[in-house]
Amino acid sequence: MLEVRNIVKHFPGVRALDGVDLDVRAGEVHCLLGQNGAGKSTLIKILAGAHQPDSGTISFDDKPIRLATPTAAMRAGIATIYQELDLVDGLSVAENVFLGHEHSRFGFNRRGESRRATAGLLARLGHPEIPPDAEVGGLSPAAKQIVSMARALSHDARLIIMDEPSAALAHDEVANLFRIIRDLAAHGVSVVYISHRLEEIREIGDRVTVLKDGRAVASGLPAHDTPTREIVSLMTGRSIEHAFPDRTGAEFGDDVLRVTELTIPGVVDRVSFTVRAGEIVGLAGLVGSGRSEILEAVYGARPASGTVTVRGRPVRGGPHGAVRLGLGLAPEERKAQALLLDQSVAANITLATLGNHARFGWIDRRGERAAARRLIETLDVRPPDLDRPIRTLSGGNQQKAVLARWLAEDRTVLLLDEPTRGVDVGARAELYALINRLAGQGIAILLVSSEVPEVLGLADRVLVIRDGRIIHQAPAADLDEHAVLDMIMEGSAL
Amino acid sequence: MTVAASDADERLRNTGFLRRLLIRPELGSVVGGIAVFAFFSTQSAVFRSIDGVANWLDPASTLGIMAVAIALLMIGGEFDLSAGVLTGTSGLILVTLATRAGWNVWLAMLAGLAIALLIGFLNGLLVVRTRLPSFIVTLGTFLMLQGLNLGVTKAITGTVQVSGLRAAPGYEGARAVFAGSVTLGGTGFRVAIVWWLAVTVIATWVLMRTRPGNWIFAVGGNEQAARAVGVPAARVKIGLFMTTAGAAWLVGSILALRFTSVQANSGIGQEFIYIIAAVIGGCLLTGGYGSAVGAAIGAVIFGMADKGIVFAGWDSDWFKFFLGAMLLLATLANRLVKKYAEEVRH
Repeated sequence: MLEVRNIVKHFPGVRALDGVDLDVRAGEVHCLLGQNGAGKSTLIKILAGAHQPDSGTISFDDKPIRLATPTAAMRAGIATIYQELDLVDGLSVAENVFLGHEHSRFGFNRRGESRRATAGLLARLGHPEIPPDAEVGGLSPAAKQIVSMARALSHDARLIIMDEPSAALAHDEVANLFRIIRDLAAHGVSVVYISHRLEEIREIGDRVTVLKDGRAVASGLPAHDTPTREIVSLMTGRSIEHAFPDRTGAEFGDDVLRVTELTIPGVVDRVSFTVRAGEIVGLAGLVGSGRSEILEAVYGARPASGTVTVRGRPVRGGPHGAVRLGLGLAPEERKAQALLLDQSVAANITLATLGNHARFGWIDRRGERAAARRLIETLDVRPPDLDRPIRTLSGGNQQKAVLARWLAEDRTVLLLDEPTRGVDVGARAELYALINRLAGQGIAILLVSSEVPEVLGLADRVLVIRDGRIIHQAPAADLDEHAVLDMIMEGSAL
Repeated sequence: MTVAASDADERLRNTGFLRRLLIRPELGSVVGGIAVFAFFSTQSAVFRSIDGVANWLDPASTLGIMAVAIALLMIGGEFDLSAGVLTGTSGLILVTLATRAGWNVWLAMLAGLAIALLIGFLNGLLVVRTRLPSFIVTLGTFLMLQGLNLGVTKAITGTVQVSGLRAAPGYEGARAVFAGSVTLGGTGFRVAIVWWLAVTVIATWVLMRTRPGNWIFAVGGNEQAARAVGVPAARVKIGLFMTTAGAAWLVGSILALRFTSVQANSGIGQEFIYIIAAVIGGCLLTGGYGSAVGAAIGAVIFGMADKGIVFAGWDSDWFKFFLGAMLLLATLANRLVKKYAEEVRH
């Protein structure tokens, strides 16, 4: 149904797409895979009409088309659900769904009609409980996704492009998303599905196209039975046999971080645990189980009762006090909470260490840069350019810069919240190795991840969190994915 | 699974009357307006009389026209610092053309409108094309207009004002429409009040019931998302700057016709008062949220404070202090209410 041939797109200094082909059949779920920087987002934006290709052809229903604007793409029947910046928080659900193609007559919006149509679309998506009048800003991420999808359907889209739709969703919400996608496909709607999670692609996809360096290195692979190793090696150009570092034989020192009776009313209930020097402790739990809140409370960024000590000294005075005692946090929302996106890589890395490079109140720029250069070389941040705005780096490399920030100072304890979110498969392995190395240097690491295999593969000891409590703890080697999933899901509303 | 509030009862409660009232952006200004009215009413009998009301609605009206236009612009995510001085420019053009070039007043007003809209268009075009913050762009136009107003006025008249509009052809008719009074129950109300109400009603209708209204909220709330779904963001923004310019022309003309002369420095310093009234009325500085009615009420609060202090027999030096306190209290109230409303929703 969709035929993309030989698309080339240049940006200043970069050849983002270098002759990409893509074929999507009617009623198919076609997965698009590739590392960050492989050209996925450029390709999506061209299909959405947001960018114009330098050369190449696109045909839809065997007719060549030109997607000059987002509106033209939508008229043609191609709707795009971006990962971010999709909805207007201040408008209602119905207003968002029909934004840009409102029902109106004589200058009046026919709000009743929009509301009815929206309610119909939401019901079709299996979510009649979302009120069309609700303000979108107050909805959960999952509900927002449904609203985006209703918007796509409101354009009678016959091809829906979804850019990492599962990134913001919890486990059970992903299942519902898949049900909707299957339903759409059964009605002849084609879906281009982009995700970093290979297991999702196996579950939902029909065929896979792999992009690397602006080219399709493989297209039309069967999603169900192409070996993972083959896909990963296509994406990376190398094969990753052991994504997780081997932690057997890791040696631990004394208890460094000691958390006693940590309580946040209604969220976290009397949580106590310790982390030893050189040990990686993983918190496994669903979104909303309290796992991220525990991390924030330990860091002093969230008021809580109970005590947190580092090497026996109590953490007081918010994050400032925590940092002084040697704690470091790599937060979940990297872009919002950790990075100055428009600043250079160097400035971002040395943010936490300004004090070290200041003499008599002046910042020692040269010392700062030398330290930053050493770090990006050690961590293999690519491209190794200190002056590049950090916004232009891929997710994995941004995360390395966040970690580099804490390496610039000697940290006793590192708190990592979803360290691999939005990071592609190849870069993940590098981050895992890096975390492993940090632990090897004797840093105590407390890690949160929604991906159970990641917690099990990376941590020495796992604390299972449900409803704000530690319900189980065991060495990672004694647990398997099923057992942990059972524990964290038990009693959750499925 | 629960994606949103799921059972029907909760949905009914969610759209309950009280809650819907509470989350309106203008709530803070309504409460503030009532408080200010009650306060000055206890201080002065004249203030609460019908004559008193007519008196303080007068400054509220000219300010209100501007505050409403600025509120639309702020909901669309932009500022206009040149709006105040543009009222002066419009008035100067009107009076100069009518008295020095002998134009009919109506024609001179039309010329003023054309120039004001052109300036608004240029403001908008600069903001949209260069992607510079509108704060900077309009600060530039503000200063340039300030210089032009003074320089041109001095070059033409040798003084810092132009006057003598009363003798110009077409003056009486234009005055009746823009600067006259209507008598209601024995009290004279300025016609400007009618213009102000009309502007508020039209702005509210556009915001709440038309496609461009949705687009204004969308470009202010999330411009990239708005663009991605095909909202003509550039046209919306330019349109908003032209709307503020049009409002500045209306206010400039009303004042010029009322006083028959215009000072070269008139309107300077007003630009922040418009923004303050819009913020008291519930607009966020970050865009995407606010109300035209709220801005109109914000202007009423100004009018009441302006005249109320005089009625109460106080030193008018306290006016600014009062305004500052009002601004802080109203925005705090707005914020608390918004937070409460969001908690109820979850």
